[in-house]
Amino acid sequence: MRRYGGFGLAFLILAAIGLWGRDAGVPGFVVPLGITALFWIAQATSWNLLSGFSGYFSFGQAAYVGTGAYAVAVLTGRHGVSLVWSVPAGAALSGLLALAIGAVSFRLRSLRGEIFALLTLAVPFILAAVASINRTIDGGQGTTIPLPSVPGWIDGFPQLLFVLDAAVAIGALAVAAAVQHGRLGWGLTAIRDAEDVAEGIGVGTLAYKMWAILLSGLIGGLSGALYALQIGFVTVEGVFGLTIPLLVIVMSVLGGRTHWLGPAIGALLIVTLQDRLAASGYTDWNPIVLGAVLAVLVVVAPDGLYGRMRARPWAVIGALVVPIVAGYYIPYGDLQNWVLAGMLLAALVAVVPARWLPARLLRPPRPEPVPAVDRPAPPEPGPPGETVVECRSVARYYGGVHALEDVSLTVAGGELVGLVGPNGSGKTTLVNLLSGTVRPSRGAIAVAGQDTARLAPHRIAHAGVARTYQIPRPFDSMTVRDNVAMAGMFGRRRLPLAQARAEAGAHLETVSLDRLAGAYPGSLNLHQRQLLEMARAVASEPRVLLLDEAMAGLNPAEIDEAVEVIRRISAAGVTIVLVEHLLRVLNQLATRLVVLDRGRVLADGEPQAVLADPAVVRAYLGRQTRV
Amino acid sequence: MQKRVRLAAALVALVAATAACSSRSDDSGSGSGSSDKPIVVGSTLSLTGIFAATGKIHQIAGQEYVDRLNKNGGLLGRQVQWKVLDDQSDQAKVGQLYEQLISQDKVDLVIGPYATPNILSAMAVAQRHNYVLPQHTAVLAPQLTYSCQFPAWSYGPRPNEFIPTQLFDAVASLPDAPKRIAVVTSQSGSAAFVTDGFGSDKTGMLTIAPQKGLQVVANVHYPPTTSDWAPIAAQVRAAKPDLVVNNGLGVDAVNLLQAMKQLNYRPPMMFALFPAPGPLLGLGDLSAGTLTTSLFQPDQAGKLGGDVQAIVDDFKTRATAAKLPYPVFETQAAASWNAWDILADGVKAAGSLDQQKICDSLHADGAQTTFSGKVTFDPADHNFWAGTETLAQIQGGKWVTVWPQDKAAAQLRGPAAA
Amino acid sequence: MTIAQAALTGALIGGLYALMATGLSVTWGVLRVINLAHFAMILLGAYLTYQLATSTGLDPILTVLITGPVLFVVGAAVQWAYDRLHVAEFTSLLVSFGLLIIAIQAVTLIWSADFLRMPGDINPYATESWTVGRFVFPVTTVLAFGLALVLVAALHLVLRRTFAGRGMRAIAQDRAVAAAFGVDHQRLSLVLGGVAGASAAAAGMVFALTNALSPTAAYEWFGIVFAVVILGGIGQVVGTFAAGVAVGVVSAVVSAAWSPATAPIVLFSAIVLALVLRPQGLFTLRSVVGAGR
Repeated sequence: MRRYGGFGLAFLILAAIGLWGRDAGVPGFVVPLGITALFWIAQATSWNLLSGFSGYFSFGQAAYVGTGAYAVAVLTGRHGVSLVWSVPAGAALSGLLALAIGAVSFRLRSLRGEIFALLTLAVPFILAAVASINRTIDGGQGTTIPLPSVPGWIDGFPQLLFVLDAAVAIGALAVAAAVQHGRLGWGLTAIRDAEDVAEGIGVGTLAYKMWAILLSGLIGGLSGALYALQIGFVTVEGVFGLTIPLLVIVMSVLGGRTHWLGPAIGALLIVTLQDRLAASGYTDWNPIVLGAVLAVLVVVAPDGLYGRMRARPWAVIGALVVPIVAGYYIPYGDLQNWVLAGMLLAALVAVVPARWLPARLLRPPRPEPVPAVDRPAPPEPGPPGETVVECRSVARYYGGVHALEDVSLTVAGGELVGLVGPNGSGKTTLVNLLSGTVRPSRGAIAVAGQDTARLAPHRIAHAGVARTYQIPRPFDSMTVRDNVAMAGMFGRRRLPLAQARAEAGAHLETVSLDRLAGAYPGSLNLHQRQLLEMARAVASEPRVLLLDEAMAGLNPAEIDEAVEVIRRISAAGVTIVLVEHLLRVLNQLATRLVVLDRGRVLADGEPQAVLADPAVVRAYLGRQTRV
Repeated sequence: MQKRVRLAAALVALVAATAACSSRSDDSGSGSGSSDKPIVVGSTLSLTGIFAATGKIHQIAGQEYVDRLNKNGGLLGRQVQWKVLDDQSDQAKVGQLYEQLISQDKVDLVIGPYATPNILSAMAVAQRHNYVLPQHTAVLAPQLTYSCQFPAWSYGPRPNEFIPTQLFDAVASLPDAPKRIAVVTSQSGSAAFVTDGFGSDKTGMLTIAPQKGLQVVANVHYPPTTSDWAPIAAQVRAAKPDLVVNNGLGVDAVNLLQAMKQLNYRPPMMFALFPAPGPLLGLGDLSAGTLTTSLFQPDQAGKLGGDVQAIVDDFKTRATAAKLPYPVFETQAAASWNAWDILADGVKAAGSLDQQKICDSLHADGAQTTFSGKVTFDPADHNFWAGTETLAQIQGGKWVTVWPQDKAAAQLRGPAAA
Repeated sequence: MTIAQAALTGALIGGLYALMATGLSVTWGVLRVINLAHFAMILLGAYLTYQLATSTGLDPILTVLITGPVLFVVGAAVQWAYDRLHVAEFTSLLVSFGLLIIAIQAVTLIWSADFLRMPGDINPYATESWTVGRFVFPVTTVLAFGLALVLVAALHLVLRRTFAGRGMRAIAQDRAVAAAFGVDHQRLSLVLGGVAGASAAAAGMVFALTNALSPTAAYEWFGIVFAVVILGGIGQVVGTFAAGVAVGVVSAVVSAAWSPATAPIVLFSAIVLALVLRPQGLFTLRSVVGAGR
């Protein structure tokens, strides 16, 4: 809670400026401009909660604003209900709408980004048309919002609105900060990087996305309800238009989508720029300048300004503050122009190459503190012989293709089972079934006694299944250590981040990646990425580990290293199912071989016996082979 | 991309932006006191964005008025300066800018923006600061609740009754008066009220038509962003009306006529509520005889006398220089002119810049407007004076005033022959 | 009867939607660039048609012979800029939005914000139509439909049958590997950008034939064009065409049978429903190229 005291303080300062600023000599432009800026900060932050953090780009921000605004318009404007009720009602309705959108879109397993974008684009159009037709809502007429009565100790309505907007905006920022630093934020980041992988390590993706969209909807709707007060007359075009959705995207991308402060920076810059352009009187050039600044800034800082600013905070703060203070004392030009100059200078300082700035002003990014390595307690492997995985007559069909047919299989604790078969025999399908990526068309699967056929993949992960991917899929925006920590954080044991990080160090040691713990996956080679896959899988303390062609693409030396790693993992008591082609690997590791051919189990037993089985040889080398 | 090029690009952007931002030193401080400082009138107009087409007309008309006023000695012996800001057709910006104009720039007077939603936003700000707000184009009287708001274009307190009544009375005077009407309405706040009434008052074209013996054979509402007019045209054609009423804006009537012609159908008579005047003329024969409601056409200049012809000619010069495709001084510009007249009259009658005094003087004495004569303001009617509008019709490629008969410059023509 | 006629004209105007959407869809699908400046090019195409027709008396349809090459160059230049600046998917959205704003203002400065419409003596097509039996075929929308068909057929053939086309599909799937196989990404993307620009010129020309032009018209196309692009499957030219026609027909039939006011509700609800039932896009036969989310 201490961390959020800063937000409380910020709100108090803004409230003071709003309520008593006029007497204190605060310039007159602060309140009107502030109302606009705070509205956009809230909207951009609301958008970013879902779309920036999780990567699900929404074009429908107008739906929240419109719902909130119309709640106030209908309840207060047409029926005289007090704002104390209608504003929260707007937020609540907007939240419900967000949940509905989420329920429809997020349940679709195969939903792609642009489809979600179109779904969200459609919603404001539908709402706008409904409002236009329905005379109780709008009917094309528009609704006037009567001026609320302002308590005597507040100077006037704009001051009241300023304070309310400040509360919503600061609240939005606090929520975004809390989300980002908490479990939800990490989960959303994992979803953004590789959603099905996240699901596989235990992130409940549906729940997390629903939380994100709910928060986004609540904040957007609350801010939208206050917007109705700001414009005073609510029309369909005014609140459901495309301006709002486009601008929130612009502001968030400009400021930076991965940090909670990014959208606010983008919003402040654009609002101030637009205001100054409007005031300059050079009407003909305003949009051209705005478009040019946008294009240039986005090209120069594609990941957003915030990231750049953070790398050199003192330079940026100096560049911002000096012109503003100067403008306060130098009587030339409006103060707002100096504010804008400060903002642009700060942006410039953020993006210039480092050698253009004096070294004193550059603060190297604080290196991430290396947590102590904490060796986790060895997992209870369960009594050897206890059945860890059981498949009974499992089948999987894709249309007319029988990828798996009548597969029955049990794996006991401590075993290292090799799963082999020619291409197309169904090995990866079986792994997908066991990990929950696909559901069986028929049959039952149980892990550690728990029936998993109907469970969501993240619950199967919590039951104790972990898998690697044939083509490694790390979370690109996180360090190697954090990649592994994610499994600890979202796995069965649901560790807090600090502990998960500490234990990650140990797992990285197991796979000999500990010296690369602070690197990003983009700089790893294939072998290292495969080791990372294994470390991440192991970190969730699984009961059974599914390794899907973990040696693909490695040279012999690397293969030997990988075999050593797998031995170590098996020695720690983890049951392993190894999908492999390489004979010598199987010979070195497997205690048992299961051979699949065209979706059926062909052989199951000791490696020597299985490999000598004529049927198996024929399956691999062709029917005509003479054995 | 090379860092140097990036840096150069960013520098250019920065320089351009701040150069563009260096405001011209035209904002004065407080206007009271010394008499050689100009009186500053503040307002916004939609100079960019979707309302820009009409916003430009108001800018030209307003500037012409101010220049003329200054040439004739200004106001209260001082020159008048008009500070107009671009609200980019964005309602939220209107409120913010008026707030800044009034509380920060401390302008002496304000005048309204363009387009009903913007006017209502501005009205809220003006009301909070007790500033008199003359406004040009919001005619829906019940919405304008501020007692010191003064309309320059009025259909009386019940425009949803005035407009249909005037139209139906006019066409009833024709030898072969229409009996069946098709009503095609835009779902825009500025137009829908004529058809559907306002709020609980359902009086409008649909209720008045039967009272005048007319049958509504088609009633179509369309969204303002309609791009495919063929279905609407097909419905109208199928209904076989004698008169097609398009309560719409902009180029809706043009699109509708075109779509109907493509279906080989030509309505016997057509009425367009608030069209953009120029494009309809360009339809040639297709739009001959189309009616509209009008505040002023140049053919009225003679009847109104005075400077009107000079005003019309001056506007034409300025508008042509601004590359407006239709540089004719007509309803929108006349409404603008009336608004400035009201402002100037109020100040003169009050003899000062005190907002309350101006408001009281206007209530007490009314105002003398160039294009609508002497108007009086009754707060019980939200200051909406009895309408002086006419009906204009396209004849010979021009808009000509045809109704009421005492103002007509030509005869109202009936349905197109065959 | 009214409904049948409406369905017909709806299908034809769907051709215009498809004509507008195809260029955007292809550059999005193949080059992974969401180019909002495409709308600026359509707008420019429309205004150039107006200008050429009114100043030189050239038949408005023939102006596309001039505007097509001009916008081909513009489209290629914009794409070249994106490539040089390494502009990727979401960055492109913003950069192109900046370009769009600039273009709209430039149009306003040159031609004013007021409505511009080619007068009847210069543009007779706006009110012409062909009658076949009881059905009327408006000339302008038939033209749009025809141009869309030609564009879609040509692009489909190129993408399927020629090396350049296969190269483009390879780029869409994996740029690095395609380069290893000798596919010159830069040249192909210039060509594709140019083709998109030329198609924008055609779309603009058709738009100018029927409508009065204003600079902010570009914003009014967003909703429908994005709906058509995504519904048809990004990068799928045939799907985009089918989606355009479907959107046109649904809107028109609902407008005629019920009310134009309800058309957006039905249309967008239908889109939502279609996407829920078939998330990969209505007309994609297999999943779209490129790494999805």
